[in-house]
Amino acid sequence: MVKKSKLTGLTRADVEVYFKIKIQTEQLLNDVSELSKKHPDGAISKFKLKFVNEKLYEANKFLLPPYKPIEDFEVFDDSTLPSNSDVLMVLAQYLKCLELWRSSKLKRVKDTYGSHWEWKLDDDSISTTKPSTDAKFDEEEE
Amino acid sequence: MVLVRPRLTDFHKIFVDQQSVSFAIPFLDEDIPLYVDPFLLWKSPSMQDTSLHTSIIAAFNWIYRLGQGALREDAKRILVELSECQEAGLGQARDKKGRRISLGKAEEILGVLDSIPDVQSQGVYHIEVIQLLVEGIGKDRISDFSCNLLKSFLIDYSIEQCRNLGIPTSLSSIGAIYNASTCKFETEQVELPINPETSTPLLLIPKRWLRFVPWINFDNFYEHACVKTAPGVIPDKSQKPILLNFNRKNYGLVTDFIETKARQAIDCLNDPLFKQIPITSARLKWSTIEKLPTGNKERADKIYENNIEQILASLFYPHLDFAQGQSRTDSGVHIRDLIFYNNRKLDFLEEIIEQFGSRQIVFELKNVEEITRDHINQLNRYLTDQFGRLGVLVTRNPVPRHIQKNLVDLWSSQRKCILVITDEDLKLMVSVFESKQRMPIEVLKRSYVEFMRKLPS
Repeated sequence: MVKKSKLTGLTRADVEVYFKIKIQTEQLLNDVSELSKKHPDGAISKFKLKFVNEKLYEANKFLLPPYKPIEDFEVFDDSTLPSNSDVLMVLAQYLKCLELWRSSKLKRVKDTYGSHWEWKLDDDSISTTKPSTDAKFDEEEE
Repeated sequence: MVLVRPRLTDFHKIFVDQQSVSFAIPFLDEDIPLYVDPFLLWKSPSMQDTSLHTSIIAAFNWIYRLGQGALREDAKRILVELSECQEAGLGQARDKKGRRISLGKAEEILGVLDSIPDVQSQGVYHIEVIQLLVEGIGKDRISDFSCNLLKSFLIDYSIEQCRNLGIPTSLSSIGAIYNASTCKFETEQVELPINPETSTPLLLIPKRWLRFVPWINFDNFYEHACVKTAPGVIPDKSQKPILLNFNRKNYGLVTDFIETKARQAIDCLNDPLFKQIPITSARLKWSTIEKLPTGNKERADKIYENNIEQILASLFYPHLDFAQGQSRTDSGVHIRDLIFYNNRKLDFLEEIIEQFGSRQIVFELKNVEEITRDHINQLNRYLTDQFGRLGVLVTRNPVPRHIQKNLVDLWSSQRKCILVITDEDLKLMVSVFESKQRMPIEVLKRSYVEFMRKLPS
């Protein structure tokens, strides 16, 4: 018996944007991590902060409650001179929450080889990797 | 509004920083401690500057030739008139009043030049040579001679700069302007900026011509002469008149020195009016401050003040030009105030001037464990019309909560703003000064933004 999927409001275009944000956030995390090793308390440059904020702003569109990483935080305030370690911590939180959000949008599909993971899309089907979180998956298809 | 160490631009509410203008901004109550070095004109890649140098030399040699003939008295009077250029405002004078040389000294200059066959036949190529030949003629006189001989150009330059920046000018009479075509000195009525304290005209001098010590100077000459001659030949440096007399008789040594200096011309650069301390020095000063105990034991307060003055003047440059450090005693504690010109260079500095009227920003330094109400009240007393209603308290530790409330209350009742910079902020300033990721002044902006956010809406 095949369970009928509910409409999730998620499209292929959303997944593509998600991947872009995730990859760029991962890279920013790596870069800031290097800076933070040398000068954890050093202020991050205006130029870098602009890009970090841009990615956080885009991620915020996906990470609505309950996936919002930090309460009362949207983006960094440039005038408060955030340090490298501040930015590192926030990016790490965002990355974890992006993965949590992804987990909530996946379904396990049984196939001839066992099963694989797919995005719960309204308009398409995209295979993806196993979620790294312990979130519960509410739907499973045969 | 009385300004501390007022500058021409600040007086007229023209907010420019020294770095962004091509001239040295004149102080109204004292001279700029730099001198015009004619060598900088000689070595300049600009044809205008080299031509001006040529005209200085031509004019000087013309005066010398005049003195060789029947008009020696005229030549002496011209030299006396050229020997002080009050309008330029350069030198060490605290009251902006210099003295001219005497007629006797003018006679001595002409006499010395007469006694040197090379000068008699060819004149001089560098006016600085007189320092090496005549007692009592130093870098200030060379600078004044140059300014006077370039007065015509400097008038045009000053008028142009004043027009560009909107500095008010008035019609004033200015004398001793050398006219190269008639080889005569004239007095003219020209539109020049006026020193409001003395009502005298001011000349703006290009920064690119200024040095603390001329490239061709006596100390360098002495070192050069000692290397070039056998031991004991050169009279001792302490016996300057004998040494100068030696130079007159050994003019070849002088010309040789000038040729050497000309070959090294690439190293001759103008001196900036303010030079930031290097990063290593800032780091060292910070580590000294960090290790200092609070209070005044073993002069810790003095060491703190001295280090903070040097470090902040450099960290805030070029956004805030350092005006003055002041020492005075208040309730038994030695206090050093730092005063900066607010050049309105950043958005928040502009806001400070508009909201609080701070044309100059006063910094109060407190090497204490904990800030008390007395410290706040003391700074509050300075926040009058003179400094506007914003002040900065530089101290060691974060202020306690009740003092923070006190600061907010001060704003609520009197609309006065006191920002606090602690050791943590200073550490961050030094760190960004080193990493260049941010401007140290942004740490002050952060204090301002954080303070404004604490205020009741």
